[in-house]
Amino acid sequence: MTMLATSLPRGAAIRRRLSIRPIRIVLFVLMAAGSCVMFYPFLFMIDTSLKSQSQYLAGSGHSLISWGRLFAALPVGQELTNSTLVSALSLAIIVALSSTAGYAFAKLRYRGGVLVFLGIVSAMLIPMQSIIIPAYVNLSQFGLLDSYWGAVLLYAALGTPFATFLMTAFYRSLPDELVEAAIVDGLGYVSIYRRIALPLSTPAIATVAVLQFIQIWDDLLVGLLFLQNSDERTITVGLGVLSAGRVTDIPVLMAGSLLSAIPAVVVYLVLQRYLVSGLTAGIGK
Amino acid sequence: MLMSAPTAVFVLLLLGIPILQAVYFSMTQWDGMTATWLGPAAYATELGDPTFWRVLLNNGALLLSVPVAMAIPLGIAAVLHEHPFGWRFFRTIYFLPTAISWVVIGMVSARLFAQQGGVNDLLAAVGLGAIRTDFLAGEWSALFAVAVTFVWSMVGTNTIIFLTGMSTLDTSLHEAARMDGAGPWRIFVDITVPQLKRFIQFSFIMTMISAFTALFSLIFVMTGGGPGYGTTTLEFFVYQSAFSQGEFGTGALLGVVLFVIMGIIGLAQLRLLRSDD
Repeated sequence: MTMLATSLPRGAAIRRRLSIRPIRIVLFVLMAAGSCVMFYPFLFMIDTSLKSQSQYLAGSGHSLISWGRLFAALPVGQELTNSTLVSALSLAIIVALSSTAGYAFAKLRYRGGVLVFLGIVSAMLIPMQSIIIPAYVNLSQFGLLDSYWGAVLLYAALGTPFATFLMTAFYRSLPDELVEAAIVDGLGYVSIYRRIALPLSTPAIATVAVLQFIQIWDDLLVGLLFLQNSDERTITVGLGVLSAGRVTDIPVLMAGSLLSAIPAVVVYLVLQRYLVSGLTAGIGK
Repeated sequence: MLMSAPTAVFVLLLLGIPILQAVYFSMTQWDGMTATWLGPAAYATELGDPTFWRVLLNNGALLLSVPVAMAIPLGIAAVLHEHPFGWRFFRTIYFLPTAISWVVIGMVSARLFAQQGGVNDLLAAVGLGAIRTDFLAGEWSALFAVAVTFVWSMVGTNTIIFLTGMSTLDTSLHEAARMDGAGPWRIFVDITVPQLKRFIQFSFIMTMISAFTALFSLIFVMTGGGPGYGTTTLEFFVYQSAFSQGEFGTGALLGVVLFVIMGIIGLAQLRLLRSDD
């Protein structure tokens, strides 16, 4: 993003900055006003979570009561652990599958490879809702709905097509000479993947991981249906269920919302550039 | 070949076969255990159901918000690209909704659109207090509330897309136009927007896909699909039919309809990408 700042010759940039001052003030005010609209929900959550139910209804006063009640109403620690476990397991599968397949599609040309690649990538078009009923019945027949595995497998399946697309594009950008030189050195294709391609692809893996982590952490539908034991519920599902139960204690809900949002926001703040490259990866060159 | 085999098998087992099963079960009466074959007549029956059309109408109405969900981020990106004071900070704020669950967004939004919520307070402040209403209690006002929330949620993703696009622009054209005396608005409309064509198409596809398939959590938390079928979209109707009403066959059928719509959007995207070359 620093690229943006240097895209103009320095002199021109400075001249422009000085010449249209009033316009820049208007732009700043516009951006600030827009930011308030974008940030308002967070302020609302913070403010409301710091009230008790009666303070919320009265519209004044603050306290920590609702935070205390949150921990009584929801097994927050357990649910955060579940979210972390489910995301981590799904991510591990997605990264393993997409990096091996991506490497194969990009560097090992074999008969039918393009066809298999197209098959996997076109699965990106399958909406979760279109397969959720058969998947639910299939996985319940294997008894996978009573553990993390049903949800983990489905999250991994839904994330793998796009991740494979992204990893293939990344490995294609690595020069073929790299692989050829390694072969001359006596390495096999598998050890080239392990020792050269995989370590080089950390940025692409980070992109895949950030994008999928946020999606899995924030998801409701799969968790709602595929994590049948309440001990295995993720925090997002726990909140969704709590809110649908017509709980009137809004401050408790807001405290929970805020808490559930923090991990994804932290990941986003720290790894923003990977998220940006992931979201725009579909545009192509 | 061996290295891509596990991935291919995995995707086939968990996505490929289920979508074929969905097509089969869509033509049956199915409660999850035993299925009775109905054949293509199942589609005729569903298409004759006014509820189905009501749900599709909701989807159609939500699509009206797609241009808004693109225009606002385009404006934001254009301003951010000029690097006003504090733009890095603003950029982080505008991108933030991308990280937040629709569950959380929906929960806050439901409060804001309630009888005593912030939106009504805002209306009262600008002298429109007479129309104070519980948005989520009326069919169309609830759909409007969902649409507004959807637009808000798309700001982050679409701003990212447009800002990335603008960073690839050829600035010499802009300089030349400025030399020729073109104003900022003319430059934006005649030079920036045409150069962003590919990014605008991509954002359009992403926003369309989200409108059709990403609103489940929002609707679940904000309205539960109601009042009546007021905010039930196709994707929510899949869930309701199967998991509230136990009609797995109907749910599968609705899922297939959704898949066909996504397929059409996907093909349109392919056409658009091809036409560029």
